Amino acid sequence: MRVRIPSPLHSYTAGVSDAVAAGRTLDEVLADLERQYPGLRFRIVDEQDRLRTHIRVFVDGQLANALDRPVEAAAEVMIVCALSGG
Amino acid sequence: MPPSEPNLARYRGHLSLPEVGIAGQRKLAQSSVLCIGTGGLGSPASLYLAAAGVGRIGLLDSDEVDESNLHRQILFRTRDVGASKVEAARATLAALNPDVELVTHAERLDARNAAEILGGYDVILDGTDNFPTRYLINDTCVRLGKPDVWASVFRFEGQVAVFDARTGPCYRCLFPEVPPAEEIPSCAEAGVLGVLPGILGTTQALEAIKLLLGIGQPLIGRLLLFDALALSWRELALAKDPGCPACGDRPAVSQPAPPAQAVPATVMAVDAGALDQRMREDEALVVIDCREPFEWDICHLAGSRLIPLRELGTRLPELDRARPVVVVCHRGPRSHHAASLLSQAGFPDVGFLAGGLDAWARQVDAGMARY
Repeated sequence: MRVRIPSPLHSYTAGVSDAVAAGRTLDEVLADLERQYPGLRFRIVDEQDRLRTHIRVFVDGQLANALDRPVEAAAEVMIVCALSGG
Repeated sequence: MPPSEPNLARYRGHLSLPEVGIAGQRKLAQSSVLCIGTGGLGSPASLYLAAAGVGRIGLLDSDEVDESNLHRQILFRTRDVGASKVEAARATLAALNPDVELVTHAERLDARNAAEILGGYDVILDGTDNFPTRYLINDTCVRLGKPDVWASVFRFEGQVAVFDARTGPCYRCLFPEVPPAEEIPSCAEAGVLGVLPGILGTTQALEAIKLLLGIGQPLIGRLLLFDALALSWRELALAKDPGCPACGDRPAVSQPAPPAQAVPATVMAVDAGALDQRMREDEALVVIDCREPFEWDICHLAGSRLIPLRELGTRLPELDRARPVVVVCHRGPRSHHAASLLSQAGFPDVGFLAGGLDAWARQVDAGMARY
């Protein structure tokens, strides 16, 4: 599936904004991303395995709050990071 | 005060639209919008709001125009560098449309003045550049029952939404808490393509005008993401969160958060002249530059050491806690935060360069490159 990586995390993906990852749940997708881009998962999920409060993940345009949320193989995952610039 | 009747010739393009017409134009003339921040977002937004004939526009900004603002803050001209932003903005907007009443607020928004200032306007337009103020605006809008027309930008990416807790989610339904300062650099630190806030700020003006006129589908319950490189807009659905700390069933945010964290007593602001002297006299002093590598390449202090703020937490073992530390950055906020982190990590003697290397270039080394 395609996973959109927000600009503030591009330093972990060598500038890649559209990643490809696999997994049956959101947690597995993030684990696959971590294998490809070491350090990325910890910018999204904290030490208690909770999504960081300034990061939100949308699956097919809908907010996904839980890491155990099932994800279809053809789903589009968008990682959204709070931005402050004006 | 705006005239009771709109200038028909000026607004002919609006009058021809059945959705606006003379009734809508009168409605705009009787409406008010507060633009918080007159920078990259507030510039295009306020220009279009003034051009559209919004009767009263508030301009809130405590900054002065800096040369580095001019690539995106199109309210200002080169001659305005050094001038108060709200006064320069007032002059530009008054020249564009003398029918509009312009109210300037040359001050910082804080928990004490937010409700009084925001309470005087129909629609609030958030064009600020920092998280604490964005949360303060949201929390105040929730309390007052005002729509918060919100946008933010970063490099080539923008986000825009209308938060209105009366009919949809608020900002905290999306992002419940203020993120740690080290997580995301500001525009000045990370860069922003100048035209990007132009697109997002113009979208904010559009949404504000739609709200005032009561036409179309407002951007409530929707988040638009703009990718300037791909030139694409993506829409995401937002829902009201019953557990939201601001607008949920049991709100925890009774008073807006203060816009800035207090400086720990152990973190000292060091001015440029004092640092210059200490660097020459104190051999044990460690000077850490917490900017990004590209900024280091532009200029840096001889003898300083580059540790970007985002890496500081993982590189603490490299540092000797027994030695005094002064952290420097471009203007001060990042080094202030880095110094606080070091202090909290147990470093007993930590300071930061007040005003950053920009102050150093003005006060100590006129030959240093500024940016």
